[in-house]
Amino acid sequence: MIGDNLTNTKMDVLKELGNIGAGNATTALSVLLNSKLEMELPIVNLLEFDEIADLVGGADTVVAAVLTRFTGDVNGMTLFIVDFDEAKKLISAMLNKSYSEGFEEFDHMDRSTLKEVGNILMSSYIGSISTLTGLEIRTNPPEICVDMTGAILSQPLTILGQIGDQALIIDSKLSDNNRLINGFILFVADDVSFDNIFSSLGIR
Amino acid sequence: MDEVIRVGIADYKLCKKPNTITTIGLGSCVGVVLYSLTGDYCGLLHVMLPDSKEISKNDNRAKFADTGIADMISALEEKGISRTSLLAKIAGGAVMFQFKGNPAAESVGTRNIKAVKQMLEQNNIKIVAEDTGANYGRTIIFDAETKILTVRAVGKGETKL
Repeated sequence: MIGDNLTNTKMDVLKELGNIGAGNATTALSVLLNSKLEMELPIVNLLEFDEIADLVGGADTVVAAVLTRFTGDVNGMTLFIVDFDEAKKLISAMLNKSYSEGFEEFDHMDRSTLKEVGNILMSSYIGSISTLTGLEIRTNPPEICVDMTGAILSQPLTILGQIGDQALIIDSKLSDNNRLINGFILFVADDVSFDNIFSSLGIR
Repeated sequence: MDEVIRVGIADYKLCKKPNTITTIGLGSCVGVVLYSLTGDYCGLLHVMLPDSKEISKNDNRAKFADTGIADMISALEEKGISRTSLLAKIAGGAVMFQFKGNPAAESVGTRNIKAVKQMLEQNNIKIVAEDTGANYGRTIIFDAETKILTVRAVGKGETKL
């Protein structure tokens, strides 16, 4: 397990990777939204499966999530998670439309818009990690889901669950002045992938 | 005040009446409730993966349909609930993300449902009610007293099974 050998240096490196990845993603999204986005320093955590949902507001919080799977030297997925009401605000601003209070199903256009936001964020995130490490990482087209956090997280967890009971997560939080967006980026990968990242950077 | 027992992912717990037992946000995971009409105890398992034999690191037995159900049956037997009196209610096993080139039939959710049903059949446990599949998450609450399973889904309200 990756947790057995996770030194402070390794944690710092992952924090920096998250910082660069999310930093580039934030810049890309700032351009798209024409709004200045800010990012908090990422948190790197080795978490029990049950604790991951609490990181993004609890298992029963309704969120919109864009999931991007990647393969190559690094295998895993990123999730861009936005609270449901924040997602409505984000789409309203981009498509110039309004929503009623409470839960309302997103239509096709809404979903495509969010998916594209996720796509831009994730391509820049993964692209910058690939450039930094020199590792080959191929991203797949993103998919979107609007539901309870717990249910959404079952997707990455079933993959991680095949290797262990904990997940190494890089969690970046971003927000903007106009409060259009307030979201999380989770980076999840398997043990071999993290080992590849470390050795590409000369860390043992 | 009656207690609400919360079961996390890849875990099971027992619950005695008049309490209720719940698990939040089942996606591709399957919630399995085992109870008997006359007994005071019931159990709820949050299955994450179908088969412990497919995976080498399988010491967390509650993670899998096969070992999780077997363990929960034994735990209920220890509380005096006979194996032959057990009934099941199940929910979950959704396909949360539809990926291209990844048919729903091969998704973990679908395989979880299949594995749970197979395991229950092997143990001659009848499934009295189920709300499985589709593409949305579920929160379930089972009342050990009334034996009613409440299923909540986002934007779909509540269903009593």
